[in-house]
Amino acid sequence: MSGRIVDGATLTAPTQIEADAVVVGTGAGGGMAFRELAKAGLRVVALEAGGYRTSSEFNQREDDMLPMLFQDGGGQSTSDLAIRVLQGRGVGGSTVHNTNLCKRTPDAILELWQRRYGVSGASAREMAPLFDEIERELSVTEIGAAQRNTNNEMLRIGAEALGYRAGPLKHNRVGCLESGFCELGCSFNAKQNSLKLLVPDALERGGDLYANVSATRLIVKEKRVVGVEATLLDNFGRPRGTVDVRAPIVVLAASAVGSAVLLKRSGIDDPYNQAGRGLRLHPGAAVAGRFTHEIAGFKGIPQSYECTEFLDFDDPAKRVWIVPAFAHPVGTASALTGFGAAHMSAMRTYRHIACLTAMVHDETSGVVDVTSDGGRVISYTMTESDSRQLARGLIECARILFAAGAAEVTIPAIPSLRFSSAKELDKISPTFAKPHAVPITSVHPMGTLRMGDNPESSSVNSQGEHHQIKGLFVADGSIFPTSLGAPPQISIYTFAKHLSRNIVSRAREL
Amino acid sequence: MNKTSRRAFLTGTTLLLGGAIFAVLRTSGYRAPIRKSALVTLSAWQYAVVSSVAQRIAAPDREGDRSIPSVEEVDVVGFIDSYMAQMPPAMRRDLLRFFAYIEHVAPLRIGLATRFSRLLANDQDRVLASIESANEGLLRGGFEGAKSLVFMGYYRDPRTWKMLRYDGPIVGRPQNGWWQ
Repeated sequence: MSGRIVDGATLTAPTQIEADAVVVGTGAGGGMAFRELAKAGLRVVALEAGGYRTSSEFNQREDDMLPMLFQDGGGQSTSDLAIRVLQGRGVGGSTVHNTNLCKRTPDAILELWQRRYGVSGASAREMAPLFDEIERELSVTEIGAAQRNTNNEMLRIGAEALGYRAGPLKHNRVGCLESGFCELGCSFNAKQNSLKLLVPDALERGGDLYANVSATRLIVKEKRVVGVEATLLDNFGRPRGTVDVRAPIVVLAASAVGSAVLLKRSGIDDPYNQAGRGLRLHPGAAVAGRFTHEIAGFKGIPQSYECTEFLDFDDPAKRVWIVPAFAHPVGTASALTGFGAAHMSAMRTYRHIACLTAMVHDETSGVVDVTSDGGRVISYTMTESDSRQLARGLIECARILFAAGAAEVTIPAIPSLRFSSAKELDKISPTFAKPHAVPITSVHPMGTLRMGDNPESSSVNSQGEHHQIKGLFVADGSIFPTSLGAPPQISIYTFAKHLSRNIVSRAREL
Repeated sequence: MNKTSRRAFLTGTTLLLGGAIFAVLRTSGYRAPIRKSALVTLSAWQYAVVSSVAQRIAAPDREGDRSIPSVEEVDVVGFIDSYMAQMPPAMRRDLLRFFAYIEHVAPLRIGLATRFSRLLANDQDRVLASIESANEGLLRGGFEGAKSLVFMGYYRDPRTWKMLRYDGPIVGRPQNGWWQ
């Protein structure tokens, strides 16, 4: 049995589809739910607002790949334009452009969710076998020293010199050619992701994939979901028709932004006003160090080493994670502050720059909402404490770069902060890293449809089912009650698998 | 039904006329760009503004150095024009409003009573710097968005990679590299 790939850009009929279940989104959560439900023998349909693109189309060019693989061409941001929120668009979601970082949900976070948010069945002990299973399936392995590029090596050298806790990271890649273009999609299909593994497996098992089809509204009758209304999109994302998918089970996996927007746009019963609240972003910013020797950070595997000296889940004063960051020319030019001649002079040092990023395990609670015409609004006002954490992280990034031998370090800020020695770092104000003062980016939105057993403080229960609407499930990063303090892809894959068991059971009941 | 008062009618008419005159003035006096291909998003006046902004944002660091590709050679504005066509409508609308702000309002805010596109380069730089460091977050954010677009239009071109010593994509790389 084999499912179909249907393109909404060309679909003419039928306008109504019947299924046992419909999954909205095909990233880590949606891909996993799609596969698991198809594996259980359900007639399952997956809807994806973006197109179905494969590695042969990934040409390693920023101007082509940003519009192809990112929401709003990479231009999505918070409503005050202070934080750029990068998310995937297209089959495979953000797993297509991420850098393959694989870290489990920290035990302390799972314990916190259980203790404070009443999440049941997801303790560290209960989840461990599932994490093992996911890591096997995605071929998660540590990136060794031989594969570490110079940018990552600068983090190791600097952290070691300062005596900071640091170590290698694990990734999900097989057959990697170390080309360094991960964030633009892998041209060599080495990412063991939803696009490569889960969606094809679901199709093989009879699932149907509808690409370029955007879910616009949930159909609910008497507190029970009965399907999804969707819009057929042309290749430029313009609406060209509608389609209804009728199914007693709907799984939302359109990201912490997309899933919350769909729920809010549908006017779903939400007596405690929970949907869309609790947004966490892992806000981060970068620091650049100029070395006299060549770094060529655009070559080789990105983000293979981390520093966790300032990340301690038992200490609220330590909430920063440091990893290398590097971008291709357009990304680098956009990240450097300033413009004109001075900017071009800075760009000439591109090959000698090592870059680190500090990402905050945030406590700020943002909101995802909809406008009167159904558009997305992301509101996020960073707390003073998070802002101080970011400042601390950036200063420590600078310190590490100096310890690794940087001749000069720049913290892109307005006005730009330039240092020629580590001593100068002690003079920086601990409050300088405010939104709009430094360019902040988020690649890990989560937490807008939180799980928990109390409907007054969560949207879905510990089985992922909506508290008010039967048959409506959420299986993406929206469900996390707090920030993870770790890259989310493994957590999303694993929780989606965990919840899929419950979804299959409910599908058999309904 | 309420009757419109004479005073309200006169005020409304004046505002309407004023708005219409401003709209005409705002978009008049711009020459249609000479281009090989037609524009899909930008009007003649918007093209002139975006072009002026791009010239300053991607200004060369070595005057007269012919090895630095110019904004025209790389066709940054043509790229922005076609890129904006793919943007979500709300984002495109906001960006066009922002360019209108740069042209007509931003110079006034630092005491320059001339359109941005007609200012000298130094004054244009002053205007852009004032927006980049503006107190209003939305202006700073708008500037970052416009800057990103200009740099995408500029640094996407392999002719700019030589000065960065960036090797470029492996996929489709010419035998002698992208810099030849």
